[in-house]
Formats: sequence, C-alpha cells, structure tokens
Amino acid sequence: MALSTRSPRRTASRQPALPSTSVRALLLKIVLLAIIDAISIFAAFMLVLQDNWVVAIVVLVVTALVNWVYFSRRLLPAKYLTPGLIFLAVFQVFVLLYTCYVGFTNYGTGHNGTKEQAVSSLLASSLQRVEDSPTYPVTVVDRLGELGLLVTDPETGDAFVGTNDEPLSRVSGATLEGGKAVAAPGWTSLTFQDVIARTDEITSLAVPYSSDPNDGALRTPDGSNAYRYLSTLEFDAQAGTMTNTQTGVVYTDRGTGAFVADDGAELRPGWQITVGFDNFVRAFTEQSIRGPLIYVTIWTFVFAIGSVALCFGLGLLLAITFQNARMRGVKYYRLLLILPYAFPAFLSILVWKGMMNESFGFLNQVIFGGAAIPWLTDPTLAKASALLVNVWLGFPYMFLICTGALQAIPDELTEAATMDGAKGWQVFRQIKLPLLLSTTAPVLIASFAFNFNNFNLVYLLNNGGPRDTTTSLPVGHTDLLISMVYKVAFTGQNRDYGLASAFSIIIFLIVAIIAVVSFSRTKALEEIQR
Amino acid sequence: MFPLLFVLSSALNPNGTLTGSNALFSKIGIDSFWRILSDDKSPYLLWFWNTLKVATVTAVASTLMGALAAYAFSRMRFAGRRFGLITIVVIQMFPQLLGAVAIFLMMSAIGDVFPAFGLNTHTGLIMVYLGGALGVNTYLMYGFFNTVPVEIDEAAKIDGAGHARIFFTIILRLVAPILAVVALLSVITSVSEYLIASVLLIDPENQTLAVGLVKLVSNPRYADWSAFSAGAIMAAIPVVALFLALQRYIVGGITAGAVK
Amino acid sequence: MKVTKKGALSLGAIAVASAFVLSGCQASSDDGGDKQASGSLTVWVDAERVDALQGAADAYTEKTGVEVDLVAKDNATIKDDFIQQVPTGEGPDIVMGAHDWLGELTTNGVVAPLELGDSAGDYLDVAIQAATYDGTVYMLPYAVENIAVLRNADLVPEAATSFDDMIAKGTAAGLAQPFVVEQGAEGNPYHLYPFQTAFGAPVFGTDDSGSYDAGDLQLGSEGGYEFAAWLASQGKTGTGVFNTDIDGAIAKQAFLDGTAAFWLTGPWNVGAAVDAGINVAIDPIPSPTAEAAQPFAGVKGFFLSAESKNKVAATDFLVNYLGSEDVQLELFQAGNILPALSAAADTAASDPIIAGFQAVGGDAVPMPAIPAMGSVWQYWGVSEAAIINGEDPKATWDKLVADVSAAIG
Repeated sequence: MALSTRSPRRTASRQPALPSTSVRALLLKIVLLAIIDAISIFAAFMLVLQDNWVVAIVVLVVTALVNWVYFSRRLLPAKYLTPGLIFLAVFQVFVLLYTCYVGFTNYGTGHNGTKEQAVSSLLASSLQRVEDSPTYPVTVVDRLGELGLLVTDPETGDAFVGTNDEPLSRVSGATLEGGKAVAAPGWTSLTFQDVIARTDEITSLAVPYSSDPNDGALRTPDGSNAYRYLSTLEFDAQAGTMTNTQTGVVYTDRGTGAFVADDGAELRPGWQITVGFDNFVRAFTEQSIRGPLIYVTIWTFVFAIGSVALCFGLGLLLAITFQNARMRGVKYYRLLLILPYAFPAFLSILVWKGMMNESFGFLNQVIFGGAAIPWLTDPTLAKASALLVNVWLGFPYMFLICTGALQAIPDELTEAATMDGAKGWQVFRQIKLPLLLSTTAPVLIASFAFNFNNFNLVYLLNNGGPRDTTTSLPVGHTDLLISMVYKVAFTGQNRDYGLASAFSIIIFLIVAIIAVVSFSRTKALEEIQR
Repeated sequence: MFPLLFVLSSALNPNGTLTGSNALFSKIGIDSFWRILSDDKSPYLLWFWNTLKVATVTAVASTLMGALAAYAFSRMRFAGRRFGLITIVVIQMFPQLLGAVAIFLMMSAIGDVFPAFGLNTHTGLIMVYLGGALGVNTYLMYGFFNTVPVEIDEAAKIDGAGHARIFFTIILRLVAPILAVVALLSVITSVSEYLIASVLLIDPENQTLAVGLVKLVSNPRYADWSAFSAGAIMAAIPVVALFLALQRYIVGGITAGAVK
Repeated sequence: MKVTKKGALSLGAIAVASAFVLSGCQASSDDGGDKQASGSLTVWVDAERVDALQGAADAYTEKTGVEVDLVAKDNATIKDDFIQQVPTGEGPDIVMGAHDWLGELTTNGVVAPLELGDSAGDYLDVAIQAATYDGTVYMLPYAVENIAVLRNADLVPEAATSFDDMIAKGTAAGLAQPFVVEQGAEGNPYHLYPFQTAFGAPVFGTDDSGSYDAGDLQLGSEGGYEFAAWLASQGKTGTGVFNTDIDGAIAKQAFLDGTAAFWLTGPWNVGAAVDAGINVAIDPIPSPTAEAAQPFAGVKGFFLSAESKNKVAATDFLVNYLGSEDVQLELFQAGNILPALSAAADTAASDPIIAGFQAVGGDAVPMPAIPAMGSVWQYWGVSEAAIINGEDPKATWDKLVADVSAAIG
C-alpha cells in the first residue's frame, strides 16, 4: 500500500472533466492569464521605453513560458509549481545573485556609488570660499534660455551680471528693491518657482568673478545669495585624473575604484568596481579570525544543533502531552504555549536580557533569592543562556508543527501496535517517532540553517559577549560564525559589504553542503519505514 | 511565561521602563493603551489594519502556493523533482545580510514601471513575502501530503475528476490541519516581520505594526517601552484569535475521519 | 504540441482579455503620476521630532509651494539606510543626524556641502565646529547635547563639589548606591568620558586648527593609566560606585524611585524624572581630580544629500527656515535640548534645566567625527567594563591602546 503512494503517474487527466465546471475553470484560467499577460506586456513596453531591452525580453519570455505551461496538456507538475517558483526566483534568487555580485565588488565605505557620483561629490566638496569674501545678494536671470546671475555688490550697491561663460560685468538700468538688484534690461528674472524648476542648471551655474580664474566664481546654493568659491580640485575627464590646484598633486584612476596619487594617497569617496576574487582571497587569508575561528565554529554547530534538538524535543513533548490530555481548558493551555511566538522576538530578547542581569535581574533577585549568577557574563553560562532564550523563542513553532504532524499519523497504526502488545513508549519510539521525523525532517534542517545564521538573537541578547579578551578582534564567547564575520567586515565605521558578502557565500556553501548531505540521509530514512 | 509578565507589567505602568525594576505590577493603569491609540503621529489603528491586510493576503496566497507545489512534489514524478525539492529549501538558507538592500533596489526598479507594486505599497510587500513562501511551507505540506493515501486520488480519478478538481475539492480538505498550521505560521511571520517592511514602507500611514511600533523604542534615549508593550499586546490579539479559531483544524483529527 | 480548436479559441480569448485589462491599466496609471511638477523635498527625521518640524514644513510649503514631506525614520537604521539609498537616487533630500556621522557620510560621498553664509556667526561656536569637516560645513546644526548630573534636590539639597563629596553626601542621605550612571556588559565610554578627561586623557590630540588628529592617540597618555587605576578603585573590587550591571533602564528606575540621588545622564531623561515628581537640579559633573570633568558634546543637525534633485530648495529650507529662531525653539521644546542657534539658546536658557546643561556644556568638547573614532568605540567600552569588573587596569589599558592603534593602522 505504502509503495503505491510513490508510483509514477504521467497520465495527467486523460478523462474529460465534467463539462460545466470545465468551462468555468477554463474561463477563470483565461482571465487570470489575461491579467498576467497584460501586466507583463505593459512592463515590457515600459522597459523598452527605458531602453532596458534585456529585462524586457526576459519578462516576455517568462510570460510566454507561463502561457505555454498552462495551455500545454503535459507539464502538469509545472502548472502546480509555477506560481511559487516565479516569486521565489524574483525575490529570493535575486537576493542571492545580488549578494554574489557584491561579493565580487569593493562595495563598502568609501566605495558606495558610481564614478560619476564620486567625481561630482569630490568636486562639490573641493569648493572653498574665497577668504573674507562677502555674501552677494543675487537674482537668477534668464536670457533666451541661458541662465545668469544678477549680482549686487554688497559694498557699493552696484549691479553686475554674468553667466557660465561671461565673467561679471556692470549693468546699467537695473531695478533695485531694498538695495538689491532684482531685474535688469534684456534679462528675465526667475521667480522662486522657476528657480526650483531649474535646480539642475542653477547648481551647475558658476559665474567667473573676473577674467582671472584665481578670483574664483560665484555660485548660489539657495537662489538668493551667492558666494565666491575657488575649487581646489580639477577633473580632467579625458585623462581621468583629478588635480589638486593648490599642491599640484595629480590623482589618477588606476582601476582600484578611487583616485590615487603617486605616493599612494587616495581621494575619498571612491566608487564601486568589480574586484574579482579579491574578497574571497581576503576572507581565506584573514589572519585576525584564525584564533577564534575554531571555537566559534564549534559553538555555532553546538548552538544550531542544540537549538533545533531542544526546541523540537520540547515542542514534541508538549504536543504529545496535549494530544492525549483530557483536562479542561486544554485549548487555553495550548494558547499560552504559542504566546511567546506571537510577540516580537526582539522585545522578548530584551526582556530576557534584563531578567538575566547579574545584580538586578529578575532571575537572580526573585527566583534565586539574591544569588549572583553571572548568566550573561560567564563564558559558559552565557552560552547556556543563549540556548535557553532561543529555545524559549523557538519551541512554540515546533509545538505547532508537531501538533499538526501528529494528526497525520492514523490512529489505526497506534491501535494496531497496542493490540500487538506494544507498550506506550515502544509505540512512540518505533511507530510515531519515525513517521514524525520523516514529515518534520526538512523543517528541522531548515531550522538548523536558520539558527546557524541566527544573528539577531546573539546580537540583541549579548552582542556576542562576554568579549574574548585574548584576541584583538571584538569577538565574544557567544558569537556565531555569521556575527563574527560581520565584526570582521564592519569594523568601526568601516563597512565592507564586499568582504561580508564573500563571507556570507562561504558560510552558505558550508550550510548548503550540510543540508544536502542531511537530505540524502532523510531519503534513506523515508525508504526504511515505507 | 515571565518575560510576558514583564511586558504586561510594563504596558500597565505608564511611565515604566521595560526591565528597570523587578516590582512587577507596582502601578496599574491603562494610560499607555490610550496614549498609543490616540497619538496622531503613530496611527496605531491604521497600522493594525495594514498588518491585518498584509498578513491575511500573504497567508492565503502563500498557503495556496505552498500546497500547489507540495502536491506536485508529492504526487507527480518529473525530472528534477528531487533537485527542485532540495534547491527550494537550500536557497532559503542564504544569509540575508544584503537581503534588504537587494530587495530595496529590486522594488524601486519595479516601482519605476508599476508604481502600484513598487516601494511603499502593500502589494509590493506581499509579493516579497510570497517570495519566501515556498521553502519550508512546501516541505511541511509535502510530508503531510505523502501521508494521504494515494487510493483517494485514484478513486476520484475513476469517477472522472480532473487533477485540478481532485486537488481543490478532495486533497485540500484532507490536509486541512497542515494548511491551518502553515497559515498560522505565515500570519505570525508577516505580523512580526520588521526588516523588509521597514525598508519598503515609507509613509507612516502605510506601515505595519512591527515597523510603527519599533519606531517608538528605536531611540534608546526616548524609548517609550510602556506604549510599545501595550501596542505589542494588542498586536498579539489577532494571532491569538486566529489560533483559537484554527485550533480545531489543527488538532481536530479531520484526516482520520475522512479516510475511513 | 498539437494546437487544438479549444486551444486556439482560448488563445484568442486571452488576447482579447489582455487588451481589455491593458487598457484599464493604462487609464488608471495616467492619473497616478506627475506630482513632482512644483518640486518637493523629502526629509528623514527621527520619529520623535516630526511634530516639532511639521509647523516649519507647512509654513514653507505655504510660502514657496514646495511640498515638504517629513518621513519618520527608525533612529537605529537611519544612517545606514541613507548611505545605501542615496546612490540609488531613491534617498531623501535632507536627513537628520548627529555630527559624528560626518566622517562616514563624507567618505561615502553622500552629503553635499552646505553654505550657511553669514548666518554661520549666529550659531554657538561648538555647533559650527562640529558641523565642519575638513574645513567644509556639511550640517545645519539644530541642537547641542551633553550630559550632566541630575540631582534629586529633595534628598541632597546641595550640589557636590567633587566626586568623593558626591558619594559622601549621598551616603549621608542614607543611600546605598547614591550615584548611578548607565553602563552595560560592554561598558559605556560616552558616560565615563568626563572622568577620563578629568585625568587629562582625551581620546585624540588636536592639531593647530583645533581638529582632532587621528595620528595623535592620547588614550595611552599617563592620564589614561591614572584614569584606569581610579576606575578600578571605584569598581567591583573597590567601592562599587560603578557597576556594569547598571544599564540605562536600571539607572533610570533607581533615580525615579529615589534610591539614587545623583544620575549622570543627558537632557533626554529629564522629562521622565520631572514627570515622576522629582525635584530635579542640574549640576556640573563632580570631578575626581582638580581638573574639570569635560563631557562630550554631540551636535544634532540636518544634512543635504549629494544626490538631491532639489538642492536649491533644500538649501533654502535648511538655511533660511530651519535655521530660524522660531523653529529652533520649537525643536527645543520637543526634546528639551539646547538649540544650536545662539539667540534661541539664550531664550531656552531661561529654563533652569537647560541653563544647567548649558553651563556644563561650556566645558564640553565635540565628539570626534573622524573615522578613526569608530575603531576606538569598538574596544573602549569593553576595556572599561573589564576594569570595572576587576581586571588589572594597567594590562587592560595597555591592550586597549594597542588594539586601537592597530585598528587605526
């Protein structure tokens, strides 16, 4: 009987379905597909407008595939899998690919954006106000689409006008309002709304003060006042170099994602570039993690396995207890059990942290009558505490799953076994547990992976502490692999997303291999009991 | 249970800290509940509604998608089935370090084409949640589907039912307990999900409870733990109600009856 | 696959239905977009400051027609979100933050210089000093924050003259732990810094222009070791004045319950103490030496995004609106902090609490914004916590200095 469950079935629906439902189902199918098609055609259209041909083609191909899947008479499994797979591909796989991509770049502090952004940011920061220069009241003016500044000299009250190309020159006949020139013949004054609408032009407007470039240029950051600036950096787009006009030092782009001078000095910000396997090489050769690596890895496994085993054990125990319990109000006891899961985990973790405080915490003060148990400050006890809190947070999940899974075990099985003279414990060990494990094994593996990377718990409870004072890394005794590598990649204010991504990928490979191996073992488990 | 008592105590003490004192319930008042319900800049009821909306749609859609996939994996044999099963769950093990950044970039790109699905929309958020729906859910249900005797399908097929009909009208009923569990887990996950929601939902009137409430305590210097606890307690109400409503499916033993 | 009649029929149906839905989409998407015509500003602010800014934002919209969209952000992630989102073009035009972010923001090229013009002279010196990085101003300051001692004047009527005097006065009032300061398992160097400076050991030395010099690490000076020794004597194995188990919540509760008479904390906690009915007085930080105990000053302000599409309006809004006395006073009322604008600060100082903090602030030094400071934070607190908990002060401080020097490189 059990074997037939697994018998292959390629013959999907050779029998015609009942006519009335079939028409309705077909109509529903057409409408749903029509909506999807319309959305993707629209998307492709918009993407083409944005010149994004590659994505547009991908969208169309995927849509065609979806249509084909639902009209083909074969491909039955695909009909069931497509909806989930599309969302999976779009959101999960994208995250994965993006992380991989970042792992090959130098994305991080100082390499945050594109080269153009870096250049414009450098140039903007290099503007220095000419010493002791005054504030010039200005009006932004327009002549046949060319912007200019109508400047009032704050000392003499005389009016000048100039543009990007023409240095300031005196104008006569300017209209003055409260000592400030607001209009000049031949020029149209911009209203504030116009100024805002043409922000881009105005931010790039620099009117030379005189024909001598060393006098600087006037710029207006807010449209009503201008200041005289000298730029200390000059960008040569042709050569791709930045030159410091005061010191004469030339900074060149040497493919390292920043402008570098001959003496190695770098201009910050730089920009994002791909760096090949550099991050992976660094991850493997990083000296500072050598010391703590072994014990952190061991603890990570202990934590992940321990959490899963304890959560599952406790959840299963409670599920069985409640399944057989004939007491009143069992409904509400169950509710109490899932409550920890219904509250935000970070809130619970912070409460636990407070309760475990050595001198003032609830555990020591109230439960243990004033004892000084170093729950979070002793290396060993802190590990136990982390496990305890994690089990408290995680067992309701396992409880729910076990409760559901227990329903899948037909009572007949237990009854039959009991009649054969098996005792309660034997029934459980030999019949229920293997069945339960086969349904829940994938969940256990997934839960292992989750706890392997359970950054939040470690971070919020104790920030990986107590700190290991024997190394120079800020690593602590409850740090997991994932939190340790973050501490390596994010030192102080320096965030190296590239390195962190490389580490993430390496950790992912470790967990994935463990998972795949465990799955093959699960398969074996399934075969035995069937 | 003690941590939850702390939360309750803190919610009832209008000026309280979360863990500053062990004298639980030293002051009792419902000021914090009023404070959070009446505060203009934290539209609690709106957050509540948003959360309900997002959680319900996500739960229904992800349970359905998971069930579809689990059915395919359980009843059909096709090339790449085993590979698919493993891949789905392995992908979910990827560390989500850059998850929020990647999803933000993705959604802002989608938003350029479809403002209705992009940043700051509930549809967008739900879509992201659905992306994570396949993994563990499929597995949970897959195990459960395997326990439903295949004779039931066969019998139905002989009666002339198509695969869709078998799935929707027969199988889904038989696996009601696991559907209930998955739906409940999905609701709890999306109610408490913070990271992605906080990046995607920008306007206060669009935010979910998790995002809104965390803002109350995110600055340790001005953290209002009392209001936060009150908010968290009220946020747990739908979960509790849903659990009570679904409990009879989860533990009811419907399968056993139907098989006979 | 074989194209059946039914298949062809349904394909046709799909095409028709698609066209229908598509036209619906088109129609509805038309009235959705195009709101940017008159320009709008997106401003990210701490959640608790939205109300204070709303008035200024509305007034600005009324005068200029520029929409100002205030977005309350999670204080814990606002900086990282800003750095990540600015290069994508999705970030805000303006972000609220603290001056010690400047090193990180400029290194990432996400902030644009801000010209305060003549108004620069209207701000407190410490505010302008903090807003300037590498000689360029990047921030519109709105508040200056520093810590001071909150005293329960009903328990101890007179201010303490020195650290030992404070403990003596508190003990005389019958308190077991008269003085509390926020610590934690990883210490809290920000709150211990005044005592460290009293021993003459700042973190970094300053260069000629008064900026911090990353190459001149002063932690390891003689004063640093004296401070470490003193800290050990006040820790677990000494008098027990400092205790790493006292975190923010416990310190607050102790002061509110009247079991502590002195609380070293910032203006952000004054509201809770006053609400709890405590007669609060603000005192200078009692020094353990003859030198003054100088706390860090933190300056809050607004930054302009380097990728803002609306720099002119943003600059105008910041310099000419948020820099006005009215707005600065409104922000002060929302958060009990000293305004950065001198005129507003003088008005605010009529409040004895603010005046108390301002007096202490006279001794304050700006918190270093240079990137090297990040490396210091990473090791500093844990070392201090270890010393408080009885580790050898000399050896621990040696390791701190070595680790920090290595990290700065």
